[in-house]
Amino acid sequence: MLSNKSEEFIIELRMYLISKGKNDDEIKEVTQELEDHLQQAEAEGKSVKHITGESPRDYMKSIGKEMGFDFRQIATLAPMTALLIIAYFSFAPAIEGTFSISKMGLVISISMFVISFFVFGFLLVNVLPKLFHSKWFYGVIAIAYTLLTVLFVFIFLWEHKSNSEPFFTATPLQNNLILIGCIIFFIIFAIYSKSWITILIPFFLSWGPIAKRFIPDNLNKDPELIWITLFVLAAITIGFLYFMFRKRRIQN
Amino acid sequence: MSTTSQMLKGLLDGSLLALIAKGETYGYEIIEKLQSHNFAVVSEGSIYPVLMRLQKNNLVSTVMRKSPSGPKRKYYTITAEGEAELERFKEHWNQLSQGVSSLLGEGDDERAVK
Repeated sequence: MLSNKSEEFIIELRMYLISKGKNDDEIKEVTQELEDHLQQAEAEGKSVKHITGESPRDYMKSIGKEMGFDFRQIATLAPMTALLIIAYFSFAPAIEGTFSISKMGLVISISMFVISFFVFGFLLVNVLPKLFHSKWFYGVIAIAYTLLTVLFVFIFLWEHKSNSEPFFTATPLQNNLILIGCIIFFIIFAIYSKSWITILIPFFLSWGPIAKRFIPDNLNKDPELIWITLFVLAAITIGFLYFMFRKRRIQN
Repeated sequence: MSTTSQMLKGLLDGSLLALIAKGETYGYEIIEKLQSHNFAVVSEGSIYPVLMRLQKNNLVSTVMRKSPSGPKRKYYTITAEGEAELERFKEHWNQLSQGVSSLLGEGDDERAVK
């Protein structure tokens, strides 16, 4: 078992190398090798400083310098990620049957993407690895997530008020085609990234739009039902958090 | 950086090659062997960028195998190209060390004469 400090260093190194566009297999190889080294060094009472020298950042740079920039990996990953984000933006309105594009909406979506990319990119590479074993880890994510969401909600409300005219409004058939396209892309991305996450997130996000499309409007706007839904959701969230913290406490 | 550590850095490539030439080995063992030869490195991790460079230049070949302690371990062996490079390194080193020794010795001699 590695100490917390060593584990944080390995995560920081991995994030640094990923952010510099290095090859996945090579990153895995070098982090595994360093993990093995750290394990033996710690068994003999040495610390991370013995391995990295005074500046872990300089050490990471010296490792990164020996690895090439993996152009092929970036050339596939960049358009795939862009398509994935477009699919995330498109599939909810497509389910609701209200897919449309306006100039203002396009500008806002792109700027939201750029802002999120920089904020979360910075956190992932520079801040979160150092906090991996601290109680602030989830705190920082939650604060960043909340601030960005609040910002985006305000932007959306403002856009809604400014009533920008869409230059493309999808017909019901087009809506369904867009939805099918999104689903196919989520599956392709899941196979490509060998993870269920790109299927699970849309699955959970789709409940709202599905309900909005299929539950009659008068039911949807019934204040009593809205309160009941909010209450049930809050109870589920509190229950979930309670079990998560209890599990963590037992593990500790 | 001090002159000594800069000197050591320049010699690390050839020295690691020489160590690997003695038989298959891995990162931590290399550090132990360097220490047993009193070869001081700046930090233990500084061998890894060098090992990566040797691998990239096909001077060593590597294989991942399960280690007794659990995680996979990367083992290094020297290649034919590595052997040739090592011979060149030895030659250069002999020339260099003779040159420097003779230079330093000359100074001593002059002082001895005075």
